Amino acid sequence: MAVKTYLQAISDGLRQEMQRDERVFVIGEDVGVYGGAFKVTQGFQEEFGAWRVIDAPLSETAIVGGCTGAAIMGMRPVAEMQFADFISCAWDQLVTVAAKQRYRAGTPIPITVRLPSGGGFSGGPFHSQNPESSFAHIPGLKIVCPATPADAKGLIAQAIQDPNPVLYFEHKHLYRRIKDEVPDERYTTPFGEARVHREGTDVTLVTWGAMVYTAAEAAEQLEQDGVSVEILDLRTLIPWDKEAVLRSVEKTSKALVLHEDTRTGGFGAEIVATITEEAFEHLDGPVKRVTAPDAPVPFSPPLEKAFIPQVEDVVAGVKDLAEY
Amino acid sequence: MAIAREAEPVGSLADIKEAGLDREDLLGIFRNLVLTRGIEERGHTLYKQGKIPGSFYTGRGNEGAAVGVATAMGPEDVGTPLHRDMGVHVVRGVEPWRIIAQYMGRADGPTKGKDGNVHMADARLGLIAMVSHLPAMLPVAVGCALAFRIREEKRVAVGWFGEGASARGDTHEAMNFAGVKRLPVVFVCDNNQWAYSTPTYLEYATEYVADRAKSYGFEGVVVDGTDVLAVYRETKRAIEKAREGDGPTLIECMTLRMEGHAVHDDASYVPKELFEEWAKRDPIECFRAWLKENADFSDEEEEEIRGEVKKILNDAIRRAEDSPMPELSSLLEGVFATPEDLDTPHHK
Amino acid sequence: MATGTAVDVVMPQMGVSVSEGTITKWLKQEGDAVEPDEALLEISTDKVDTEVPSPSGGVVQKILAQEGETVPVGTTIAVIAPEGGAGEEPAEAPPEPATAKAAEETEKASGAEGETPTDEKVEEAAPAPAIEEPKPAPEADGDGRREGKFVSPVVARIASEHGVDVSQVEGTGRGGRVTKKDILKFIESGAPAREAAPAPPPEAPEAPKAPAKPTEPAPAAAPAGAGETVEPMSAMRKGIAEHMRRSLDTAAHVTTTFEVDLSKVVAIREGLKREYEQRHGVKLTYLAFIARATVDAIGKWPWMNAELRGDSIVVKNYVNLGIAVALEGGKGLIVPVIKNAEDLNLLGIARAIQDVAERARTKKLVPDDVQGGTFTITNPGGYGAIHGTPIISQPQVGILDVEAMVKRPVVIEDDTGKDAIAIRPMMNLCLAYDHRLVDGAYAAQFMRDVKTNLQTWDEAAY
Repeated sequence: MAVKTYLQAISDGLRQEMQRDERVFVIGEDVGVYGGAFKVTQGFQEEFGAWRVIDAPLSETAIVGGCTGAAIMGMRPVAEMQFADFISCAWDQLVTVAAKQRYRAGTPIPITVRLPSGGGFSGGPFHSQNPESSFAHIPGLKIVCPATPADAKGLIAQAIQDPNPVLYFEHKHLYRRIKDEVPDERYTTPFGEARVHREGTDVTLVTWGAMVYTAAEAAEQLEQDGVSVEILDLRTLIPWDKEAVLRSVEKTSKALVLHEDTRTGGFGAEIVATITEEAFEHLDGPVKRVTAPDAPVPFSPPLEKAFIPQVEDVVAGVKDLAEY
Repeated sequence: MAIAREAEPVGSLADIKEAGLDREDLLGIFRNLVLTRGIEERGHTLYKQGKIPGSFYTGRGNEGAAVGVATAMGPEDVGTPLHRDMGVHVVRGVEPWRIIAQYMGRADGPTKGKDGNVHMADARLGLIAMVSHLPAMLPVAVGCALAFRIREEKRVAVGWFGEGASARGDTHEAMNFAGVKRLPVVFVCDNNQWAYSTPTYLEYATEYVADRAKSYGFEGVVVDGTDVLAVYRETKRAIEKAREGDGPTLIECMTLRMEGHAVHDDASYVPKELFEEWAKRDPIECFRAWLKENADFSDEEEEEIRGEVKKILNDAIRRAEDSPMPELSSLLEGVFATPEDLDTPHHK
Repeated sequence: MATGTAVDVVMPQMGVSVSEGTITKWLKQEGDAVEPDEALLEISTDKVDTEVPSPSGGVVQKILAQEGETVPVGTTIAVIAPEGGAGEEPAEAPPEPATAKAAEETEKASGAEGETPTDEKVEEAAPAPAIEEPKPAPEADGDGRREGKFVSPVVARIASEHGVDVSQVEGTGRGGRVTKKDILKFIESGAPAREAAPAPPPEAPEAPKAPAKPTEPAPAAAPAGAGETVEPMSAMRKGIAEHMRRSLDTAAHVTTTFEVDLSKVVAIREGLKREYEQRHGVKLTYLAFIARATVDAIGKWPWMNAELRGDSIVVKNYVNLGIAVALEGGKGLIVPVIKNAEDLNLLGIARAIQDVAERARTKKLVPDDVQGGTFTITNPGGYGAIHGTPIISQPQVGILDVEAMVKRPVVIEDDTGKDAIAIRPMMNLCLAYDHRLVDGAYAAQFMRDVKTNLQTWDEAAY
């Protein structure tokens, strides 16, 4: 057990998978010689060679489509999108081919697509997005959004091992900012099991990714005001741990979903709908959302700060609900 | 001025023997051509009888190209055939009754009723099921080749597309990537001159699609797609070249789509003269004539083959009609794969 | 209000579905001084008649809508000039913020009024009754938040599981709302649980219980004589028995019968029947016409929709129309209630009747469906009855018995003014009313209006 950054945990997890399973290979732009735009695969090419750590041309379609073909041929490809935003260029390969192949043709597509996502550092409209909900709507894709270093490592192993296309959203803002203990040995973290980040009794706060930390800070402040917040870190959105959410809501009777993605059609809407459908008689207040507004991610720091949900926004949202 | 090489026709039995086919193989090709057309003709009839739901597409005019390419593939090679390439499924050995069952949305079709018409493939035979977004299968074929290259296996992937699909970015990304990595892949363009109603000059501005190959760093070849033996010989060369590590080839098979885009399309936009001209170059008739001229193909042999095909088709339709509709309980089956699904020949 | 700017008075929105209001009376005239919140005018809307308090102090500078005029909600109907500024201020539109503020003030004022039961006018001093279901429901503000006594799903569930009357629980939530914590604390404190009320006819508050005979043991099952079979009364039968007896002991029942010529209704129904069935999936029955006509007449004769509560007459401005539904095999009777029937047109009422009747027969009614009725219609005419003396469902004032439609020769006036005999579809409507509150003339005038409504059915109005 050692203290590692979130980024190092992803890197370690990936390396261990490549060491134990020679079917695993990495492909993406600048992942080889350069070690990746964020250095997740630094040193990989030296260790595994150029045919397992493949520098690809600027071709997201060919990267994801190539992974699909290689997976059908028995490989366990891991594609890196340099930024999650660029996944739009590979939409067809993921949505049209990979997501539907098992259902219609019986062919499993075990690929992992790593997606450095999220904002908070003036990345602007094309380097800051959180496009998870678009893919959550596509049957056949799995979606992972780790928040802690330990989960980042366990979930990358599980993603690679999973027989389906898995979108692994790694939040760029956590890469070097978040450090925590990570087991040295190889392990997997199961999909569809939420993690209680903080126990509480008054309000259930459901979130994932970097917003777990925003929520935690808000919960600290709210505690001073006598509001006890239970934070659930979903860890994976498809599948998502409905039971854990409903269990918590049954306890607190009040729920708020927090996400960094924009509001309309965000995954929070799905969670809210499920709570109202399945825990209606446990509710003691409206189910609320705190999200980014419906706008592209702005560049200028004050605008971006106003865009991304801040601790104050969460405090205000939870308070409003607690006082209801 | 074409940049791609223009392939020669195959002159004699000796020529084709040199390319790897003996007389028995040639009779097999004839059978596969007749069976390919037979499946589509019988399917067309079933469609008009209301026994096949949805749309119905045929590859009439493309049988020679499909059968020629597939005949050149090795047993361990793989491919992503499209909707004009019924001949590939036939050559690889998909049972005709399962194709008819697929057409009819029955439980015994390769997709078990989850997908229709030619959106099917038997993975055990090295084929990958197409999607409607036609060029999307090229990156997948390239990915297969990438796996072979990583594992240093002497296997080749074949990716099909049409001249319409050549206009899309997937085609470019797939060829560029394959060229950059010198992957063992053969790109086959079924150029049947019409993408639904769009003629070639609205799809590309070069003389041939195969002219592009040079810009991706590999060879382009144009071949008469109605000449099954010429297609076979060029594909064989390209596949062996790829197998030896010398990278991709783009083969463009020139044909005419002899029917509408689908059977609901009367193709009125295609000049009549064009149909008349290409009707004289029917791939099955041409090959039959070649066999008669070069291989002493007797009427008895032909009758025997046609009789066998007819029986196969009669059986196929009966068996397909006996196949049940899918159980409603299968509606949600397989949206997600399970670990057991990975227990296939490819995932050992 | 220390403002130097003129303030608009706007037509307030008295309920979410209300779109316009009529000025019935200006209580101040142009030039009159007015205090903030002082009554300025009286308005009438679909839902309520009320006074509008002045949004600002000053002088009534301009009255823009006259008595009798109907204007859309939000229309400026007067301008209040600040004190001393009257006359000098031009009557043109004041700056935006003031307008918005005025609207907000008005809204607040009407909201405050909504907390007292505006929908029930209580005459004479009477202890304020506990209102379990304020109507209209408190309206949501922009945040989707509700003020006042909204009962959340979890509180409703806990209350029903523990038989707690939520109005007994002190609320600490926003606006005094009872939160989950409040009700759990209440239960933990050992507060008395309310007896779960039986589903059938609603209880009358303060109604005298059947005289108790404490020493008498529970009656044993009666022995069966020759040729007799004996079965115990069902809970519903017992409930009906008790309620009917109690109603006769409570109300001074009088029945009056009116003959109605349904020719016009028959013709209209023929015209609409197919369309209702095909486009709306609704069976258009004569009962729907009668219900619609009755609800309309109740609007003019509000005491038919009242109750006696102690020494007070409580008049309701909403009509919760009970429809008596017989259960199969004479097993009993249930009276589901169509809430706010005054809001429903013919289609709405037909649909509602079909819905409650269906749910009554398939036992899908929930307790709320059979509570809170303000007037009842019963329909034995379906079985051929031509006269009846129904018993009022307490604490209501009236019950209308709908008899069979029968083709009868009647004397009519022909086009030339001469008497003639014609065959007409005739129906008797028998109204039982509580003479304690309603006198014969009042009841007869009510019935006359029901009859007129049916005989001169105006398609456009319904």
